[in-house]
Amino acid sequence: MSEEQAIALKELLYKIADDQLILGHRNSEWTGFGPLLEEDIAFSSMAQDKIGQSYALYQMLHHAGEQAPDTVAFMRHADQFHNCVLVELPNGEYDFSLIRHFLFDTAEALRFDMLTRSSFEPLADLAKKIKGELRYHTLHANTWIKQLGNATPESIARLQTSLNYALPYALGIFEPSPNENIIMDAGFFQGEASLQAEWQSRVISILEQTQLNLPDWKTVTPILGGRIGKHSQHLQPLLDEMSEVFKIDPTAEW
Amino acid sequence: MKSLDPRVNRLPETPKDIVPKAPLDQFGTFEVFVQPKEGKPFQHEGIVHAPELEMAYVLAKEAFTRRFTCTSLYVVDTRSVFVSPLAEGTTNAYDLLEQKQEQHSISEDTFEIYHLLKRGKQHVHIGTVKASTPDAAMQQAKTMFNTSTPVMNIWAIRTKDIRFTEESEKDLWGTLPEKKFRDAASYKGGDKLKTFLERNSQAL
Repeated sequence: MSEEQAIALKELLYKIADDQLILGHRNSEWTGFGPLLEEDIAFSSMAQDKIGQSYALYQMLHHAGEQAPDTVAFMRHADQFHNCVLVELPNGEYDFSLIRHFLFDTAEALRFDMLTRSSFEPLADLAKKIKGELRYHTLHANTWIKQLGNATPESIARLQTSLNYALPYALGIFEPSPNENIIMDAGFFQGEASLQAEWQSRVISILEQTQLNLPDWKTVTPILGGRIGKHSQHLQPLLDEMSEVFKIDPTAEW
Repeated sequence: MKSLDPRVNRLPETPKDIVPKAPLDQFGTFEVFVQPKEGKPFQHEGIVHAPELEMAYVLAKEAFTRRFTCTSLYVVDTRSVFVSPLAEGTTNAYDLLEQKQEQHSISEDTFEIYHLLKRGKQHVHIGTVKASTPDAAMQQAKTMFNTSTPVMNIWAIRTKDIRFTEESEKDLWGTLPEKKFRDAASYKGGDKLKTFLERNSQAL
């Protein structure tokens, strides 16, 4: 692997891992507050899955010479994170959390499906291994969206408002990397543009089964910057809370 | 008193007027069956609340199979479960079934049959029969699955009412054996307390 390929691969791993870690932490904030007991358990379990997936990716980075997973997760400042802005936004009401879960996890499942064919073997192996987890995450998201997207005027209106708010951020998932061509040529990943195309058609196919409306994609301006460390004011407080124990006692374990 | 956590809602104030008691704002229930290992029969594990069958499947998966190994799961609306009389002591539930007038029906369904052998145990899947009504299904089960062991209770469920795990969904539990962090036994709390106390007594 050439030096520029190694740099491009690290950047790819960091952004995927950071997405999983930050959204995993956000979703875990619902633990104890879910709208019903069964959903509380399901949403918390999926949050654990995401943090587990980020851990596996940070381990790959560690093998490639980066700091240990805990250090990388807890000691970086907000501007050193490569997650998209969508995942750091506060949970808000459950309608927003569900819409974000649907929009993000649809992209995540497609991304890892593409990564099962990655030329970087550890990444392809991880993608194959977590296929079942992602299958559940999208089944969960799609079922909820179809349920509430057809249920009552209030549930439909709430989801529609959240969808309108979340879409520009969701397009930020696909912010192209400066290394996009290197990543594609090396066969690490098929690239953000083809992921976005597949994502759009998947999102449309689910929302067509609901009473929710999608705007004309051309009118949605993506909110970019997350991938290069430009975040909203919401990320740093999240990091401060997440790293509280580690900063008091780095050797602490459960 | 208001909670310090803004997300916590305390119980509402008691109304001053005398009003009828409000019904519980709850979803209906669905029965959950789990297969612990490949080749083992499905057994009843409990219920989930859900607005409909597919949601029940999604919610049951984490409520009942987030720990320990498991190979498959299915759910059915509680109202689709037909229940035999409950037998006591050495009586067999199959002997309590009333022989109903045979209804001649052109259409037959398959029914899944479950036995409860002892109080406090679970209903376990025992086999499948073809019949036109739940009563006929139990009569059919009597000829096929009744042995010398007394059965305390029998369930019959139309196969078509069940939301099964599809073959392509079997990987839902693929990484479950690795999730030791969900098992209380993998947190050595006692050991940690012991080390802590020893360290403290040395410090004194």
